[in-house]
Amino acid sequence: MRPQQQLVSNPDSAREPAIAVSDLSFSYPDRPEVLQGANLNIYPEERVGLIGPNGAGKTTLFLSICGILTPTSGDIGLFGNPVVVGEFRPEIGFVFQNPNDQLLLPSVWEDVAFGPQNMGMSEDEVNDRVQDALSLTGVETLAERVPHNLSGGEKCLVAIAGVLAMRPQLVLYDEPSANLDMRYRRRVINFLQTAQQTILISSHDLELIIEVCDRVLLLDEGRIIADGTPQQVMANESLMNAHGLEMPHSLRLHHQ
Amino acid sequence: MKHGLDFYANLDSPIHRWESRCKLIGLFSLIFAFSFVEQLSLLPGMIVVTLVYYYLSRLPFSFLRSRLRYPGFFLLAITLLLPFSVGSTVIVQIGILSLYQEGVVALALIATRFLSILTVSLILFGTAPFLSTVKAMRSLGLPAVLADMTLLTYRYIEQFGEDLTKMKRAMQLRGFRATRFSRRNLNVLASLVGSLLVRSYNQSQQVYQAMILRGYGYTLHHRKPPNPKNRVSGGDLISLGITVAIALGFVVAEILVERQS
Repeated sequence: MRPQQQLVSNPDSAREPAIAVSDLSFSYPDRPEVLQGANLNIYPEERVGLIGPNGAGKTTLFLSICGILTPTSGDIGLFGNPVVVGEFRPEIGFVFQNPNDQLLLPSVWEDVAFGPQNMGMSEDEVNDRVQDALSLTGVETLAERVPHNLSGGEKCLVAIAGVLAMRPQLVLYDEPSANLDMRYRRRVINFLQTAQQTILISSHDLELIIEVCDRVLLLDEGRIIADGTPQQVMANESLMNAHGLEMPHSLRLHHQ
Repeated sequence: MKHGLDFYANLDSPIHRWESRCKLIGLFSLIFAFSFVEQLSLLPGMIVVTLVYYYLSRLPFSFLRSRLRYPGFFLLAITLLLPFSVGSTVIVQIGILSLYQEGVVALALIATRFLSILTVSLILFGTAPFLSTVKAMRSLGLPAVLADMTLLTYRYIEQFGEDLTKMKRAMQLRGFRATRFSRRNLNVLASLVGSLLVRSYNQSQQVYQAMILRGYGYTLHHRKPPNPKNRVSGGDLISLGITVAIALGFVVAEILVERQS
């Protein structure tokens, strides 16, 4: 087993982590373990990228952190409190890879209001939050539109708005730039660069990771293989190749 | 993650080795015979035959149990309704509720037939790859369009289930709890169903376009039923004969017992 490469000392170790994962293991029925003793700490205000080949366990890790999946072993803490499977924690938001998986109501406004309404807020508070979320993501003009009729990029931003309306402290993004054209990809990157929350982004779009994140975790075969800055992790060609990835083009040019 | 109907198709058992067309004819004849039964006296025989075939298939009991989950709701509904609403001969009086003999008999008949037919169907579809079963149906005369619809339904119903699971998770992560019976919750669940239907429709259009672009429709009318690769052995025919004889036996017994009574 390749030991975890800690490429940067963590100056935040004195602070309480936003996410604390300890020896996390998970396996689906009749399949080998997807997560094998994963360990990681994410600190408030960090912008962390999670990279790895298909099947590495990235989405499984996200679903475990959110309390959707029950780990076979290990502990997960969220802002100092243990994650209880099935418990609703509004301080964490999850933006799914396919926005169709979370857009279900007849209008954008209603869909964005869904989370705050479930939190029992007053009508005025819900309206304020929806307005803020639509404004943050730049989709105010889509408020009365039917989500199914939106373009892929519009759906992505509306899905993000639906999560932000709950005002989470931490947001997990699963492949936020998947299937987006250049224009919407740039909008998502610009948005993520200015996001106020702690963010953890799982993505195959390594250039997005470089632009948005200041720390990168490399996950493969259910373990954290490397942890460092984007340059430290992704410019290590042998490390990247060994785990089914390639050095991003921008770093290759820089290297040359 | 739920297993498909043919998850255990790779096991080895007399039923697994039974040639597909013979198995189809034999087990369907059993199903029709079971649906014909109205006499209580034949129910034990029906149960025994079903259990024997299930034993021969070597399918795990957990497979049967997992597939009975949703049909179990139907059974629960008739269990609660029939004995207390059908008939005139009161067996037991429980407060204002009367337990009727005719209702109990009807429940026994419907439940046994339902479970037996369902179990035989699971044996049929659980002991061979679904594609093989559909090909066998085609070779026995099922129209090509129906065969394709069956295959596509099987292929995409699991995806439908996965989409439903993901959407439920997304709702749960935004604080939705379906436990309370309220107008809002009903509206949300209705929207969920509506969204899934729209997504399914959109996807079906895309799948159809992809099929068209690979010649589907043009070739449909020219497609002959597939030539089955498996040869029918003597053992297959004997098994078929025995099964059809059992099915006929139930039908004959039903007629005779009905005449006597």
